[in-house]
Amino acid sequence: MTVKSATAKIWWYVRELTGETAYERYVAHVRKDHPDAPVPSRRAFERERTDRQEADPRQGFRCC
Amino acid sequence: MSTATTGLDPRKTRSIVIWTVVALVGAAGWTMLALSRGEEVSAAWMVAAALGSYAIGYRFYSKFIAYKVLKVDKTRATPAERLDNGIDYQPTDRRVLFGHHFAAISGAGPLVGPVLAAQMGYLPGTIWIIAGVIFAGAVQDMVVLFFSTRRNGRSLGQMAREEIGPIGGAAALLAVFAIMIILLAVLALVIVNALAGSPWGVFSIGMTIPIALFMGFYLRVIRPGRIAEVSLIGVALLLIALVAGRWVAKSSWAEAFTLSKESLVIWLVAYAFVASVLPVWMLLAPRDYLSTFMKLGTIGLLFIGVVVAAPSLKMDAVTDFATQGTGPVFAGSLFPFVFITIACGALSGFHSLISSGTTPKMVEKETQVRMIGYGSMLLESSVAIMAMIAACVLDPGLYFGMNSAPAVLGAEVQDWVSTIQGWGFTLTEADMAAYAKSVEEATLWGRTGGAPTFAIGVADIFASVTGDGLKAFWYHFAIMFEALFILTALDAGTRVGRFMLQDTLGNIYKPLKRVSWWPGLIVSSAIVTGLWGYFLWVGVRDPLGGINQLFPLFGISNQLLGAVALTVCTTLLIKSGRLKWAWVTGVPLAWVATVTLTASWQKVFSADPRVGFFAQGDVAQKQIDTGLKPNGQELTAKELDDAHTIVTNTTVDGVLSALFALLVILVIADAARVCIKAIRHPASVVSHEEPYVESKYIAPAQLFPTKEEKAELRAAGLGSGGGRTDGPREEVAP
Repeated sequence: MTVKSATAKIWWYVRELTGETAYERYVAHVRKDHPDAPVPSRRAFERERTDRQEADPRQGFRCC
Repeated sequence: MSTATTGLDPRKTRSIVIWTVVALVGAAGWTMLALSRGEEVSAAWMVAAALGSYAIGYRFYSKFIAYKVLKVDKTRATPAERLDNGIDYQPTDRRVLFGHHFAAISGAGPLVGPVLAAQMGYLPGTIWIIAGVIFAGAVQDMVVLFFSTRRNGRSLGQMAREEIGPIGGAAALLAVFAIMIILLAVLALVIVNALAGSPWGVFSIGMTIPIALFMGFYLRVIRPGRIAEVSLIGVALLLIALVAGRWVAKSSWAEAFTLSKESLVIWLVAYAFVASVLPVWMLLAPRDYLSTFMKLGTIGLLFIGVVVAAPSLKMDAVTDFATQGTGPVFAGSLFPFVFITIACGALSGFHSLISSGTTPKMVEKETQVRMIGYGSMLLESSVAIMAMIAACVLDPGLYFGMNSAPAVLGAEVQDWVSTIQGWGFTLTEADMAAYAKSVEEATLWGRTGGAPTFAIGVADIFASVTGDGLKAFWYHFAIMFEALFILTALDAGTRVGRFMLQDTLGNIYKPLKRVSWWPGLIVSSAIVTGLWGYFLWVGVRDPLGGINQLFPLFGISNQLLGAVALTVCTTLLIKSGRLKWAWVTGVPLAWVATVTLTASWQKVFSADPRVGFFAQGDVAQKQIDTGLKPNGQELTAKELDDAHTIVTNTTVDGVLSALFALLVILVIADAARVCIKAIRHPASVVSHEEPYVESKYIAPAQLFPTKEEKAELRAAGLGSGGGRTDGPREEVAP
């Protein structure tokens, strides 16, 4: 494994783990299952994401 | 080895050889830990014992549970696949979900309990951490995760209501709420004890607020969703704040950041109230990214530090406090109190809330519950082992000087030193001052709560690699690391408590259910912060030492939630016709119920005022009635005040212990009724499991794919992350 591919893998993992890829995955999901549906902008999507946590704080709750 | 003579294929032979070596390494570790007397043992042996045992537990026991007991089915579609909405239900790469799940279950708990339990020596706690996780804690996490996955990710409370009945369900809900309050109070108390009189600590923790606000603003306005980059910026700012803390502590500003315990309580409660009312994006979400980064990073560093430095354990294997039950950190004998004190890391009921709810909606394959449920918990347990090592590499005299309740040590510094010397440890006043100076703190006496002890242990281990010059930095780094996620937990926990309160009270007064209704939001936030704030205040003012009083209560409540979760699991095993395997969760349930109920019994009924809450209250009441201390002197006004405080506190704590015990008995009795009915009339059982749907998804079960899985992935044209076999392919892992 080269240094470049190892770095790429780590970066992939960090982006996945932090949830940075949530938008990309959502867009991919909409495109696949509902090809004609409109896709929200990233800004709107991220806002909705935190609003959802606001409405039900049990999502993403951390433990002791 | 010739395969012709053994009749085994080479793969099997290799596997036998490898696992024999693993078993031998683990056995060697245990032997060294258990047999050495009078000489210092290297922490490397503890690591060997732990890792060897985990590997065997994972390879054999978790496999047995997954395939024989739960019968995980890789052809069955998980809710993530069936209900995929691209938001909360979505198949997530097993390695990513492992990280998510681990970050969600691990917090300050496994760092505190083992440090306190070290007063009985390193051996009792270590045995419980390792045996407890293999046979109880990891089993609970995995079985709850499995059953919740089969039920579209229903929460523990919902499963208790559905499978046991409304009484069991209501008791479980009440238990969760009460535990949340105690948990928040204890976590906050840990932080108060770590930050009191420490301008360096207060400044750097305080700076996390503007840093988080900046990150929140960045994510909301400047570059939405770029979480990884903003987290890296945040961590860099955090390290700058940490270094700057040292300058502040040495400057004329130091006084402004030197806070008493009482003022810290007010700051913390006010912070948590405001933070929980503010929108999630402003503080909570960015804070959470920061603390996750710091958590994973520090745990990684700690593993490396322990392995590279291989420090010696200075604490005895078993101290006299283990047998006599007269420990200064927490009172009571080894059984049941070691098993209460170490909850997270061995068995933590709280994990059942994560294993049901969030994680099951993201599992790609049923077969992965083993790696995610059982595996994450093993990792958390190893964090607890690291905490045990951090506490035991310190001089025992220092350990007891930091962790003893003030009431045990005496009134003056000379008394403190002579009490500790009286226990047979070498410690002088100058030693203590030198330790404090080495980490640039004003004093280390009576710094209870576990965080300062853990931080000194970590600083010791890291400094032996990086040199003593950085010791103070590492100490404050460790404090910051704990404080950061405790503050996040205070905010998040207050929100969850508020949500539960709104949900319940909303049945009486409708508008309360609407989470966006401001008056309801403010009032319920105030109630929740007020409740844990009360216990925190009491803990700080407690003449007997708050950790000493509150921590057992926290342990009991957490284990009680574990008992509820294991009851739900056992009921589900029996109801699904697996009576002969019910012992898998039934035995841990019997154990944790015995431990919790014995501990509650002793906390309520013990005549020993050090252990029993009411006995303690009686002693204080007698002093109030007679106006005299046990030695015949008259009470001063302050002592009279203290006595009144003790009477109130012990009554509240005693009533709570009794309430917890009653709740667990109620849930178990209700579940027993359901189980007996299910055994007598199997036809009457209604399954709440979602019906079988065939999976169109391919993904390996373990971290590394097997030969067969690799072939399957290759045939479907997928990467090592797996993916769908129908429709257009999603982007997969490299």
